[in-house]
Amino acid sequence: MTTVEERPPTRAGAPAPATPAPAPRRRRAFTTRRGLVVAAFMLPAAIFVGVFIYYPMLAGSQMAFRHWNLSNLTDTSWIGLQNFATIFADPAFGVILGNSVLWVVASIVPQLVIGFALALWLRRKFRFRGLYQALIFFPWAISGFLIGILFRWMFNGEFGVVNDLLMKTGVIDQGIPWLAQPDTAMFAVIIANIWYGVTFFAIMILAALQSVPDELFEAAALDGAGKVRTLFKITIPYISTTLALTVLLRVIWIFNFPDIIWAMTGGGPANQTHIITTWMITFTQKGDYGVASALGLIVVGLLLVFSAFYLMALRGKKEVSS
Amino acid sequence: MANGKVLTGLGIGLAATLAFSGCSGAADDGTVTLQMVESLTNPARTELLETLIDEFEQENPGIEVELVSPPTDQADQKIQQMLQSGTGVDVLEVRDLTVGPFSTNGWLADMGPEFEGWKGWDALTDNAKNVATAGGKTYFIPYGFYGISLFYRTDLVEEAGFDGAPVSWEDLLEQASAIQDPEANTYGYAFRGGTNGYSNAALVIEAYVADDLDLENAYRLKNGDSMFSAPEALDAMELYIDLFEQASPPSSVAWGYPEMVEGFSNGSTAFLLQDPEVIAAVEQSTAITADQWTTAPMLVGPSGTAIQPLATAGWGIAEASEHRAESAKLIQFLSEGDASIRFTEGNSLVPILNGADEAEFYKTGAWESYLTMNEQPETYITAVQPRGVAWWTEWADKADAELQQVLIGQLTTEELLASWDAYWTEKWAAE
Repeated sequence: MTTVEERPPTRAGAPAPATPAPAPRRRRAFTTRRGLVVAAFMLPAAIFVGVFIYYPMLAGSQMAFRHWNLSNLTDTSWIGLQNFATIFADPAFGVILGNSVLWVVASIVPQLVIGFALALWLRRKFRFRGLYQALIFFPWAISGFLIGILFRWMFNGEFGVVNDLLMKTGVIDQGIPWLAQPDTAMFAVIIANIWYGVTFFAIMILAALQSVPDELFEAAALDGAGKVRTLFKITIPYISTTLALTVLLRVIWIFNFPDIIWAMTGGGPANQTHIITTWMITFTQKGDYGVASALGLIVVGLLLVFSAFYLMALRGKKEVSS
Repeated sequence: MANGKVLTGLGIGLAATLAFSGCSGAADDGTVTLQMVESLTNPARTELLETLIDEFEQENPGIEVELVSPPTDQADQKIQQMLQSGTGVDVLEVRDLTVGPFSTNGWLADMGPEFEGWKGWDALTDNAKNVATAGGKTYFIPYGFYGISLFYRTDLVEEAGFDGAPVSWEDLLEQASAIQDPEANTYGYAFRGGTNGYSNAALVIEAYVADDLDLENAYRLKNGDSMFSAPEALDAMELYIDLFEQASPPSSVAWGYPEMVEGFSNGSTAFLLQDPEVIAAVEQSTAITADQWTTAPMLVGPSGTAIQPLATAGWGIAEASEHRAESAKLIQFLSEGDASIRFTEGNSLVPILNGADEAEFYKTGAWESYLTMNEQPETYITAVQPRGVAWWTEWADKADAELQQVLIGQLTTEELLASWDAYWTEKWAAE
């Protein structure tokens, strides 16, 4: 096993610290023959990815620059950026972009916090832990659309269980039409998404926590560190890579996750709970695949920019801390 | 090693043969396998359809039918994909909403030649014949019609002091407002503000402009303008918004089909405008008993007439089908005699066959209102909405969103009607 020693960054022009140069690693020559063998092994997977991922992506992308409407496919002429212009000219676009950001941020923060707390609790050894784990992870096995339908009935203003509970406990004295008002509808869909996504964080964080050696916690206890200090100085730094990747994955997934909103509100009332991907569905339903594809490219662009900044920020943070 | 390669090759060949044998085609013994795709799928309907297909196969030993039943909400997209690929479908369910785009793209066969001399033509009602030969081409044969009636609670109407069901839209507002009692969890009208909410708004406007309406295009007036431009349309929409504000559940701004039916079935709402397929759903309710509800004819406007929009769907043949004669045979079997009657009764549809509505089934209980409407065609006027236009889905999306804007106070009824009028005027001008 080779251990890699991380060296602190140096300022340009500053003399290098007097540390011994690391021994040169032995590298195996990458010959053409070896390269061909590797390529031959990778070829089936590359073909699979090419046919099922990249080809549809490219084929879909070119639709964004064409008039591609299922109502009349006899005209699929090249129209340049007109589909993008249609999107940016729509007054709903600003609201929908704002909703998309709110949807991600307001969902992911509680999911992370609650998921983390659940994972910490499940890491402890106690009776029926397996049963609790199964119960907590169960929602992840249900389709998002089904969850949406379930919550649509729960948040129904007249015969939903949410109003019933709130009225019986005296929190409200008359039912709230949750899904009929823009603000409460957005709140309701975010609550449903938080409930659904907590389990993913719990699963990922629990898996990471189980890799933290018990000796670290024992050492911290011997040094007199309290629970909060142990959490922030031992636990979180140790699993930070998993946390960072989980957050990145979840941001991408939540941004691209229309199921719950679609099932609960269909983007209504009056487009006020649409995020970009639910809005995209309305265009596919209208048969306007050109505009839908343009929206798809916008989503890809936004997520690429976010991922690049996020990873750069993480890298910068890591370098500073090291 | 060489044997291994040969075996691999044979294996791939066998797998490919098995995979392609699923596609429609003629077997060595001459048996033709037809692929049939349905759209408005539900388990009971699929079961009935399979029974009818079994009977067809027994009558036609050389033809086998494979029924594809995608979930309803994905079915039309699935059908589009199958048609676009150009293979894999012979007979398909064509809706009045999909016939426009499907035929424009050249995906539907004109079944005229195959139905030339078909003995079943004479048995079809005039409405069925008109739909089947619209535009001079036969893209589908309807299997039935969807007609709207007013589902209402007889007990609540009586308790509120009325001696019968509402006849007009104004009566409905009066009765629903009287019944509305949110504290008792009782509401007047199961308002449709969510998906397809615009369709009920169009119904009330059509009733208000009935005398001036072009019956071949029920969004247009006889003078060529859109119905949304008529002064009566504003009266209609104001009444409709009153119905929401004074006599409907507040959350019905987001209600679609399931919530409306549930609202009526669970006893929360007193009135519901729906297709007859809901009769079966309400009959299964445990919250209200058979003597607590029934249906009434469509609501009339100020002129005393109502417009009954003709919604329909049926069976058509894909242009790419290589078995048109066999496909036509299947459609003819489903469109005549006992098979047609069983399908319309089993799915609570208005029948396509002359005289079929005189069966006992259509004369009792909740079906009586349909009989009344059939007997009074001058009062309950049948009209064709322009549901076949290529932009119908785009219209539905726009109209739903704007109706919701009115309901939550972001748009006025005047602005709504001006927007709808401008939309249709522009579309028709571009035709």
